[in-house]
Amino acid sequence: MKFNNSVALVTGSSRGIGAAIARAFARAGADVVINHRTVGGSSEAKAGELAAEIQALGRQALVVPADIADREAVRAMMAAVRERFGRLDHLILNAARAPFKPMERLLDRELRDLVETNFVGQVRCLREALALLETSGGRVVFVSSLGSRFYAPEYPLGAMKAAMEAAVRHWAESLRPRGINANAVCGGIVRTDAFKVLRQVWDGLDRLPEELCVAPEEIADAVLFLCAPESRGVRGQTLVVDRGLGNRLRF
Amino acid sequence: MQQLINRTDVVAAVKQAAAETLRIDAATIRPDHSFVRDLGLESLDFLDIDYRLEQTFGIKMARHFFLEHAEDLFGEGSAIDADGRLTSQAIELLKSRYDPTRLPDLSSGLDMDQVSGLITVDSMSDAVMGILDTLPERCACGASAWKNGEGRRIVCGACGAPAAYTNGDELIRQWLTGIQAERNLFSA
Repeated sequence: MKFNNSVALVTGSSRGIGAAIARAFARAGADVVINHRTVGGSSEAKAGELAAEIQALGRQALVVPADIADREAVRAMMAAVRERFGRLDHLILNAARAPFKPMERLLDRELRDLVETNFVGQVRCLREALALLETSGGRVVFVSSLGSRFYAPEYPLGAMKAAMEAAVRHWAESLRPRGINANAVCGGIVRTDAFKVLRQVWDGLDRLPEELCVAPEEIADAVLFLCAPESRGVRGQTLVVDRGLGNRLRF
Repeated sequence: MQQLINRTDVVAAVKQAAAETLRIDAATIRPDHSFVRDLGLESLDFLDIDYRLEQTFGIKMARHFFLEHAEDLFGEGSAIDADGRLTSQAIELLKSRYDPTRLPDLSSGLDMDQVSGLITVDSMSDAVMGILDTLPERCACGASAWKNGEGRRIVCGACGAPAAYTNGDELIRQWLTGIQAERNLFSA
């Protein structure tokens, strides 16, 4: 797959799956916008390292700190993309943030934050990017997880993932007249920093056989496929990339 | 209380865990370093350090911060107000939990966002020591023969069972319940 002369924005891309997607786009020839939330911490440092890596590949990289739950920050991020590149071809909605506790135990504030970041924030990113995406006939890919369809302990984020898979189906049709396509990739168990949290609340997760653990690069490859002309017939779908974990009743 | 693992061992283990998570030299980490302010840690990194310490000592660190437990026990809004500021009761808890000489000026209050900055290598070492010190006098088999096992894990010298500690969350809840019984900070 070739992505020369195109620009990809990957939200939450300083680490984990997002970083793998950013790297894959750069290797395939795209210029990349790296987004992270916290300023002055480890993710800013990691975003800087990733940008240098992408530049070493001969591609351009722009790092934009923005909390996707903050409307003004999202606006400013899209303005920065417009100013630097003048275009946006691929919007990858990867950023997520949620407490790990049973949903019914979330405080009101946590419940609002959950929806504000993981649903409202995603919709805002799309909305603010629409003008740019319309010009390029752009693609949107949401990064979902198996939590959208299976129970996982202390994982209220799963409900938001399910909502977003429905949103993607909606956009695939509602944005069709504007030439924009949307799909999702639903990842299985991926050994990222978030996995370190999951294994603490999920007894036995450490014993998951290695062959059922998805590499971040495998998610990235599926995301790139959904941004490539080869997937032109796929609209509003969620592609499960879980090495078959979801096929089984037990592992 | 237990005598098998001392605080120096714990501080060394906390530094080692932080060094591995952040991929920096453990020798550059000081006991008074704030993980967030001095070492650039973020929330996901904390969980990684916790996990490493759990593996090292065979313990369960707290999953939730003590102010979250306070909200759970005493109701939403009891520790953090609608604007994300700590309530006066939460400030009192903070003063009881941390060395007052190391706390910032609290006269104008504190944002919840700033609280994680208060966690230092020292305070995390205290939390680990607190858990290790819940080692019961006797193992479930009846023997009182704890000894150092593999790495830094304590095992029963008689039956070989791993030490059973109180987990970090339970310890915090006990502490909060104790403070409430004593000082009645939160009215029913």
